[in-house]
Amino acid sequence: MLGALVAWTVLDRLAWPYPAAVAVAVLASAVLGFAVSRLLMERLLVMPFSMAVLATLGVQLALQNGAQLLWGASPKFFGGGWIAPVQVGGVGIVGQQLVIFLAAAVAFAGLAAVVRSTPLGRAMRAVAQNREACDVVGLDVERVVRVTFTLGVAFAGLAGALMAPILVNVGTTLGLPMVLRCFAIIVLGGVGSVPGAFAGGLILGIAESFVAGYLTLQLRDAVGFAILIAMLVVRPQGLFGVRVRA
Amino acid sequence: MLAPLAASDYVLHVAVLSFIYLLPALGLNLVYGYAGLLSLATGAFFGIGAYASALLALRLGWPFWLALPAAGAVCALVAVPMAVPALRLRSYSFVMVTLGFLVISESVAKNWVGLTRGDMGLIDIPRPRLGGAALTSVPQLYYLMLAAAVLAALAFRTIVRSAAGRALAALRDDETLAAAYGIDTWRFKLAAFVLGALLAGLGGSLYAHYTAVLDPLVFDVFHTLTLLTIVFGGGAGTLHGVLLGTVVFLFVPEALRVTPQWRMVLYGLLLVVFVFRLPGGLGPALARLGRRV
Amino acid sequence: MSATPLLSVRGLAKRYGGVIALDGVDLDAAAGERLGIIGPNGSGKSTLFDCVTGLIAPDGGRVALDGRDVTARPLHWLAARGLVRSFQKTAVFGTLSLVDNLLAAGQARACGGTLAAFAVGGAAARRTAALTVRALGLLDALDLAPLAAAPAAAISFGQQKLLQFASCLMSEPRLVLLDEPLAGVNPLLVERLVAHIRRVNREAGTTFVIIEHNTDVLLGLCARVVVLARGRVLAAGAPDVIARDPRVIEAYLG
Repeated sequence: MLGALVAWTVLDRLAWPYPAAVAVAVLASAVLGFAVSRLLMERLLVMPFSMAVLATLGVQLALQNGAQLLWGASPKFFGGGWIAPVQVGGVGIVGQQLVIFLAAAVAFAGLAAVVRSTPLGRAMRAVAQNREACDVVGLDVERVVRVTFTLGVAFAGLAGALMAPILVNVGTTLGLPMVLRCFAIIVLGGVGSVPGAFAGGLILGIAESFVAGYLTLQLRDAVGFAILIAMLVVRPQGLFGVRVRA
Repeated sequence: MLAPLAASDYVLHVAVLSFIYLLPALGLNLVYGYAGLLSLATGAFFGIGAYASALLALRLGWPFWLALPAAGAVCALVAVPMAVPALRLRSYSFVMVTLGFLVISESVAKNWVGLTRGDMGLIDIPRPRLGGAALTSVPQLYYLMLAAAVLAALAFRTIVRSAAGRALAALRDDETLAAAYGIDTWRFKLAAFVLGALLAGLGGSLYAHYTAVLDPLVFDVFHTLTLLTIVFGGGAGTLHGVLLGTVVFLFVPEALRVTPQWRMVLYGLLLVVFVFRLPGGLGPALARLGRRV
Repeated sequence: MSATPLLSVRGLAKRYGGVIALDGVDLDAAAGERLGIIGPNGSGKSTLFDCVTGLIAPDGGRVALDGRDVTARPLHWLAARGLVRSFQKTAVFGTLSLVDNLLAAGQARACGGTLAAFAVGGAAARRTAALTVRALGLLDALDLAPLAAAPAAAISFGQQKLLQFASCLMSEPRLVLLDEPLAGVNPLLVERLVAHIRRVNREAGTTFVIIEHNTDVLLGLCARVVVLARGRVLAAGAPDVIARDPRVIEAYLG
């Protein structure tokens, strides 16, 4: 949400070109992610899980409604992006969608490489599997959390800025349906698995389109959650996930 | 108690809303404060209870006094198949499933137009009738809702003081230990969840018959978040905490007509602050202050 | 002694990846016995309790209670049938008062079911009153009576161990597994706790299986002792024999 809104602000108020707007959105998101991580996420490491849920819920509430107070409640028209139609293999799509697909492919490939091969990626996996052991071997858990969270928020901002031209209208209500979809994708693909997330995203996207096209448009939001619940009941570790100790 | 004699209709209205809200808040308190389950489904049951009661009254002509318990029963019945698989899950999966339940309920309310009239909502929901006449004015309904709130609080206190209440508190504190002493933790969690749904459903029914109109907005996450703030901010696991929470986080902002956005920002910041500074909530903190004075 | 042992463990095995915690343990506890278990750190004592009580699923072997196979049955199922255990780490219900801790520990057996716990009638009140009497008696015996209304999180570690011990007795179990009940307890109260174990064992016939590092006390309290080392039973027999066994001495010092 904030990614899209920041990009809009840059585009509309500052009249900068679209790529600049995207860059600013990503930067702003990274800064925000860093701040939230320092102030909040790292401190939550020592707390029971429910506290973390409530605190992050609080942040989400404050951000979303704060945004509403700043930007107003009505959606804004997003003017930038490559929205000229392009022909791909006989199917007409919008140029922006191609950009999104490419960006996603690069991002996923890059992320998978990082998680699998770099020291940072190894550190991330170690933290996910056994936090106490990390403390024992001297791994700076807080730094890993900070980098991971900042990256995550930056990605979110990027997604928002890239999706904005497709959505045409951007407003403060963008956040929640996206987050719900993210949950569904992660659970579907398997927590902790990057290829899983990629697969999950594809599956969810296709499922939603089918439901919207053949059943009814309104049920689209519920599809994500139906899948989520079904997965959790039938196969909690997702399609590609590894069974992590609870 | 004698407020209707002195206060304006608007303040009474806010008081009524607070009374109604107390029921799902107590339900959430039972589920989270006593059984230790962070559930976002309370709002869903609030809405389901509201719709069930309204539909029974409108479509089948049931009087309020029948629709109310029926709504509670519907919620309790729905809660069981929902909880049985969900309780097996780890805590973060459980939270997501309850959130999912909320979203799906909202979607059903919006889209099953044949049943719920979708976004157009239900109107002319009959008010409760007492002694042949309908209660329509706010002062009249005030007493009814006050009675409901008092009864709910008493029921809550009874449950909490019983052996079951002890079992729930025990399993919240240390689930393995509770099991070691013979407490069937799964069954008690299920019981708490169903009771929470029941209370929320009753509250929903009261809401529907008070406002006389209903639309899918009753499932909006706004209610769930307010309930969370009330229970967590007021003091999960205590009765006086939830009462205090309802006053501070519902009555006051509503009476001052604070806009939803500002309220949410405030709730959000408060949640964060409370997590770090006052995890026990306002109630116990004030009690500690009182003891020191 | 031809009676079926109350607790019977055969070939219990558990491994974690490459680490063997239990390597085929055989153990018997006769009804009314006071059985001690000693062994160096890491010998598998707590894991043995965990496997017997269903907290951890063993990789092999069987556990029988009164001749009936109860392997990997859940904790609360066993507790309802009279098998109670204590934990090495401090384990109390922190937000509940001492009395409520004891009531919570004893009520499952008294109520007999989840639904019954919700009852509020006269019978329920009488049940709670009876449990309260027993609770206060236990607190008195362990010198905790003045703290009866205090939240369990507020008392000292040693006092919490005593509370745990009392909690185990609340449901009048047939078999009590105590995991290092004396660790951290005030030496003056150790005598009292030991005396209480003797009394309950004599009067109610309750069987005790006790893990302890305080070998002096354990050898004095228990009529039979089992020594565990590296996940296996090293030796078993009367305390004085065990104390002189060179293998045992080596295991502890070597």
